[in-house]
Amino acid sequence: MEQKQKPDTPVKQGRREFLTLAGVAAAGTGLLAGTGSATAAEEQPAGKGQGYQETTHVRTYYELAKF
Amino acid sequence: MGEASVHTAISPAKADFDGIRAGLYALIARLLSGPLDNEFIAHLGQLEGDSSALGQALSELATQAKSKPSDNFSDEYAPLFYGQGQGGEILPFASYYLTGQLYDAPLAAIRDDMLKLGIQPTGSIKEPEDHIAFLLDMMHGLITGRFAAGAVDVPDQQDFYVRHIEPWAREVFSDLKKAESAEFYVVVADLGLAFMEIESEAFKLAA
Repeated sequence: MEQKQKPDTPVKQGRREFLTLAGVAAAGTGLLAGTGSATAAEEQPAGKGQGYQETTHVRTYYELAKF
Repeated sequence: MGEASVHTAISPAKADFDGIRAGLYALIARLLSGPLDNEFIAHLGQLEGDSSALGQALSELATQAKSKPSDNFSDEYAPLFYGQGQGGEILPFASYYLTGQLYDAPLAAIRDDMLKLGIQPTGSIKEPEDHIAFLLDMMHGLITGRFAAGAVDVPDQQDFYVRHIEPWAREVFSDLKKAESAEFYVVVADLGLAFMEIESEAFKLAA
């Protein structure tokens, strides 16, 4: 039943397709929700631009966690 | 049973693969970094997966998280990873797996890279940094940009993975799967094995 493959950008496409087939996407929202409290081992040192990215990511995870 | 699926399915086309990969690294890191607390066990109960090896491991984690008394998880973690002072059944350190000695050259190599990437231990875990949980958590940080260096691109993620994780991660998960005290952690090992296989393969495609 299957037909042609879409000839898109080869490299990126390969990776995404592979990750899709491997079931990575199926992990879904439940997984991301877990991430908020999952962070285990180590963090960045208190460097110069400290925290900005870290904070936004943490916030994203908490927002996702509400689903 | 039925009420679990309030989640919106993510379509592959739109899936945030890097976010999900980061989530998997963090998840496995947390599973291995210490005994599980109740809050985290509740999170595990929400995991869902499809029929792939990865998906099945995720569903099985959820099933066990929902059905076992929470004490079981720490009772199982202790003999596996702590033992009685001399280490547990599993010594999940790169140095041990790669040279047979703890605190060996692989640890030095990791510390070197941590310095370059602006990563330092928080001190919340009193293990050397070549513990598998540290390394998986570092992958999470490299993908999400949690460290001073910011988010690194796929080739740089691959570089870290290939040097510090790939050479021994599957072996430690295989050992965990066979470990005498492992039951819930057999599923953790399955998840680790499935994910490491995917990452190794996907990095090749990226290159």
